[in-house]
Order: sequence, then structure tokens, then C-alpha cells
Amino acid sequence: MRLLVVEDNVPLADELVASLNRQGYATDWLADGRDADYQGSSEPYDLIILDLGLPGKPGLEVLRAWRARGLATPVLILTARGSWAERIDGLKAGADDYLTKPFHPEELLLRVQALLRRAHGLANQPLLEAGGLALDEARQSCRRNGEDIELTAGEFRLLRYFMLHPGQVLSKSQLAEHLYDGETERDSNVIEVHINRLRGKLGRELIQTRRGQGYCFGAAS
Amino acid sequence: MRSIQRSLSLGLVAILVIVGLVLLQTSLWLFEAGLKRSLETDLREETEGLLLAVVRGSEGMKLDIQRLNPRYHRAFSGHYFLIQLPGQTWRSRSLWDASPAWPEAPGLAPELLAGPRDQRLLAYTAHYQREGQAIVISVAQDYTPVLDSFARVRLSGLGLVGMALLVFLLLQRYAVSLALHPLERARRQIAQLQQGQRQQLEGDVPLELQPLVEQINHLLLHTDETLKRSRNALGNLGHALKTPLAVLTSLLEREELAAHPQLRAALEEQLGQIQQRVSRELGRARLAGEVLPGGHFDCDAELPALFDTLATIHRPGLDLRWQAPPGCRLPWDREDMLELLGNLLDNACKWAAGQVRLRIERHADGYLLLVDDDGPGIPAERREQALARGARLDEHAQGHGLGLSIVGDIVAAWHGDWELAQGPLGGLRVRVTLPLPGRQARATVDQ
Repeated sequence: MRLLVVEDNVPLADELVASLNRQGYATDWLADGRDADYQGSSEPYDLIILDLGLPGKPGLEVLRAWRARGLATPVLILTARGSWAERIDGLKAGADDYLTKPFHPEELLLRVQALLRRAHGLANQPLLEAGGLALDEARQSCRRNGEDIELTAGEFRLLRYFMLHPGQVLSKSQLAEHLYDGETERDSNVIEVHINRLRGKLGRELIQTRRGQGYCFGAAS
Repeated sequence: MRSIQRSLSLGLVAILVIVGLVLLQTSLWLFEAGLKRSLETDLREETEGLLLAVVRGSEGMKLDIQRLNPRYHRAFSGHYFLIQLPGQTWRSRSLWDASPAWPEAPGLAPELLAGPRDQRLLAYTAHYQREGQAIVISVAQDYTPVLDSFARVRLSGLGLVGMALLVFLLLQRYAVSLALHPLERARRQIAQLQQGQRQQLEGDVPLELQPLVEQINHLLLHTDETLKRSRNALGNLGHALKTPLAVLTSLLEREELAAHPQLRAALEEQLGQIQQRVSRELGRARLAGEVLPGGHFDCDAELPALFDTLATIHRPGLDLRWQAPPGCRLPWDREDMLELLGNLLDNACKWAAGQVRLRIERHADGYLLLVDDDGPGIPAERREQALARGARLDEHAQGHGLGLSIVGDIVAAWHGDWELAQGPLGGLRVRVTLPLPGRQARATVDQ
């Protein structure tokens, strides 16, 4: 999952990005409204966390510009302006959720998780369930038939992306775009290695290879 | 209460009464003076006639009865005379046994004489010389009919003055109400302002009212701008305070602190207190309260957006509904009302199993807001306590720091009341009673 954080306060952004990274999200960070306006709609983000008081261009205008261009990515507004009138303005501009500062980091992670599931049409349950697997996003482990399966950070990221897109054919470049942030060098071999390890832990038939197209998760079940 | 209409009427009545009475009396005086002058001529001619009746007889002077007007013979006819010669006096027969106090001085008597049978007599005395003898002739005429007719004239004059008074009052009332019409319109507009049905007074008023209306409009605009500016400044302050707080809260999750659970707990508690305090005070400072008379909350425009927002931020599947009188406009500031309803409904959504209802009812002296949910509710014995503590009813749910304490602040600022009860859906019912702002202001002034 690839996230964009737009926040002009550097210490807060540092903490946010670090905390999101620990949860296995590939996170890009921008501080200026104009940059966000451009990059938010040009890169394939799965979710955007947007502050309202931004230099360059106010957050609400950035959001309106995205929505006007047809960007459907879920947007969570993170702001110190917590009055209901401002919340309503935010949601009217096209936000999907609204969190006021100061906030608990777990609260933010839960909201992000819920928004991602909602965006993929999944119910908001404690565990992410797909293809006969249950994924515990907080503990970054996977459970099948009552048996816990430990995952590395890279495997967890990949599996979560697959489980949010069950039955869809995902190309290698698409996976790379959504699993790594803009800074990381994308090496398609790494993805192949992770897929092979997941097949080793969960069974070969769970992730099928579609020659010339990519991979498909849970198509058999 | 002083009324312009009444003081104008009082002034007019006083002036009309004084002018009417003075005119009436003066014209009567002038008329009487003229009448007396003409009567004086008549009486003088009468004495001259009587002088002719005094003739020389065989034994000195004598009165020739034949030459006398017959009215001097009829008793109490109203015409009398007295002729005095040295050693001789003749009285008219009409005097009968009466003896009025005839005046000595020549000319018209200054006072009316008391005559027989309650008659008031106008008397005239003339001195003549005939053949070396001094003759004093006094005549008198009954003046009572004239006095009576004067009294009648005075009475009808008073009646006329009264009639004129009535007509003038009615005309004046009409004229004044016509002239005061702009004032009445301004008064109605101010009442509408108080009820939130308008934001400004109309500038189309007479010259005399122009400065007043302009000043009120200016004040309204100024208050509105000040409120916006201070809200914006508070927003910036909130941003400046809350962002570092958010950083500190995030820093608490650092690995380094995991080794010191006590330190982390202490920091967490203190940070929590700061957050709560900052949120509460900033929220309270944002309230417009009753500063803006033109503020209003348009239910049909605001409630759908509020409910959409609630539906978006809460779990899907919640059944949220509202009910308000058609075209309902609540006479309170929009942002304050959103804050009140938002917090109450947000709380209801957190607890509800599946349904949340808002009901707004108009009553004679204010509005009633009812927020119901089908959640677990609060036992009766804990409800008072929950309200008294600043009502941290949302303690279990993270995120919305303000909670219900701000609801208490808003209700208090509006002189309203709120209570918790058992709701018809099985959960909690929050009942908020709000008196109309104008009434409350008047009641405070009366006290």
C-alpha cells in the first residue's frame, strides 16, 4: 500500500511517516500544497493523508482540485481545525474521513486501515479476510485454519496488497508502484522473491502466475 | 413605556383645549361688550323718552302716564324706571314692591343690579336739567335672557371645542401613524433580526432614521467580522498548539520510551490534560453565544450536510434520520448550532446499535431538540452525575477531544437547559430546551 502524507510540520511528518512505515505502508511525504496538487494525482497512491493549513495552496483547495480532476483515491483530512462547521466543509470538498489533531497514532492507523478496506469494498472487521486467509494487520501475521503463520515485513506488505485485491490480475510494475515509495529503487526481482516465499508458506496455488500479465491472488477459491 | 404617539396626543389635546377655551371666552367677552354698548344707547334713548313724559302740570312737575310705554305698567315686565326730582320720586309700576339699588353715577352701571324675581338688571342713569330743576332718570332692563343665551352659547361652544378635539385627535393619530410607519417597519425588522430571519436592516428609510439604521448595520457587520477574525485567530492558535501536541503524542510511541512505562504513562496523562484543556477553552472561545442577533441556522440547508458527514465518519449501516418543522430556521449562530448538534449526534452515533434520530420541535417560547439513539443508554442514577461532570460521555471513544463538555457550554451560553432521559428507541435521549434569544434578553433587562 502506497500512501501520501501532506503535512507542513516537519517533526510531525517525521513521526507520521515512521509510524506508517512500521505498519508496512510505503509512504511519500510532501509539505507544499502545490506539489501535493500535482503529485497526488500523478502517482498511483492508495490513500492520502492531507493537512489543511499548507503553504503554497490551502489543503481544501488541493482536495477540490483533485476531485475536480476525477481522482478517486480516499483522502483522510488531518487537521487542528476541529469544529463541526470545518469538518462539514472538509467532507463536502471530497474527503472520506476527518481526524483532528492531536490524535493517537493507533487511532490514525485504524482509520487508515478502515478507509483502505472501505475503498476496496470490504467490511471493517478486526482481521482482513480473503482467499481463506485472515491477516492481522497490527501484529503483521497471518492465520489459516487456526494456525498462525509468521511473515516478514516485505511478505506482509505484499500479502496485504494481494488480499485487498482478491481475484484481480496484478502486474509486476503495478505491485512495485504500490509497494514502494518514490525514493526506493524498484527491483522486480525482489517482488518475485517475496512471492516465492509466500507461496512456500501458504501453498503454491494461492498466488497464480498469469503469463505475460502478472499475478492473481485467491482466484482458485 | 413611553410612546411617541401618546406624548404627541397629550401635547395636542392640551394646546387644543387651551386655545379653544381662550377663543370661546374672548369672543363671548367681545360680543357682550358690543351688546352692552348697543343696550346703553337704547337705555339712553329710553331716559330721553321718559324725560319727555315729565311735563309741567298745575302743581309743578308731573308724569304724563299716557306718554309712558305700556311695558312700564305690567308688573315685573323687565323694564323699570326711577325718576327723581328734588322732593319728588316716581317709580315705574312694573317694579311693584321691589327697590333695586339704583346707581348714583350717570352712565351705565358697572354691576348688574339684583331685581325682582331673581332678575338681573342692566341699569342706566342720566342727569338732566329742566327749567332749573335737576332730574335724575334711571332705567333698568332685565338682563337675564341675555345671560341665559350667553350660557347656552358657551355650552354649545364647549361642545364644538370637544368635537373639534375628537376630530383633531383622530386625524393626528392617522397622521402620526403615517409618519411613524418607517419607525414601525424598523422595529419589525429588528424583531426579525432577533429571530435570525434577516442579517441587515433595509437602508430605505427617512432622513431622520438614516444614521440609526446605518449605525446598526455597521455594528452588525463589524460584530460579524470581529467574530470571523477571532474565530480565524483561534483556529490558528489551535493549529499552533495542537500540531506540537500531536508530535509529542506520536513521540510517546517511540521504542526508546517503551523501556520506561512509568515515564510514558506520566507524560501521556499530562499531555492528555493539556489537550483536553486546550480543546475545551478554544472551543468555548469560538462560541458566538448571543453576540450576533442576525445569526441563524437553516435546518434544510445544514442538516443534510451534517448527516452526510456523520454517515461518512461513522461505520456504514447506521440509520440516521432527522425531523424538523418545514422551513425551520433556528435563531442561533450557524457554527455554534453545528457544534452543538454535531457533538450530540456524534456521541449518539458512537453508542447507537443501529439508529440515531434528531427531532426539532418549535414551541411557543423556544425550541426543543431531541437526540435519540438505540444504544445501551445511561442508568437514571448516573445521568445527573454525567451532566455535572462536564459530561465526558464519550470517554471510551478516541479522537474527538471536545466531547460533550462543549455542548454544556453552548447550552449555558444560550440560557438553555439540557437533560438525559430514557429514549423511545431504548437508548439515551438527550433533551435540549432553548428559549428564544430575544425573550431571554428582555427577561434579563426586566430583572
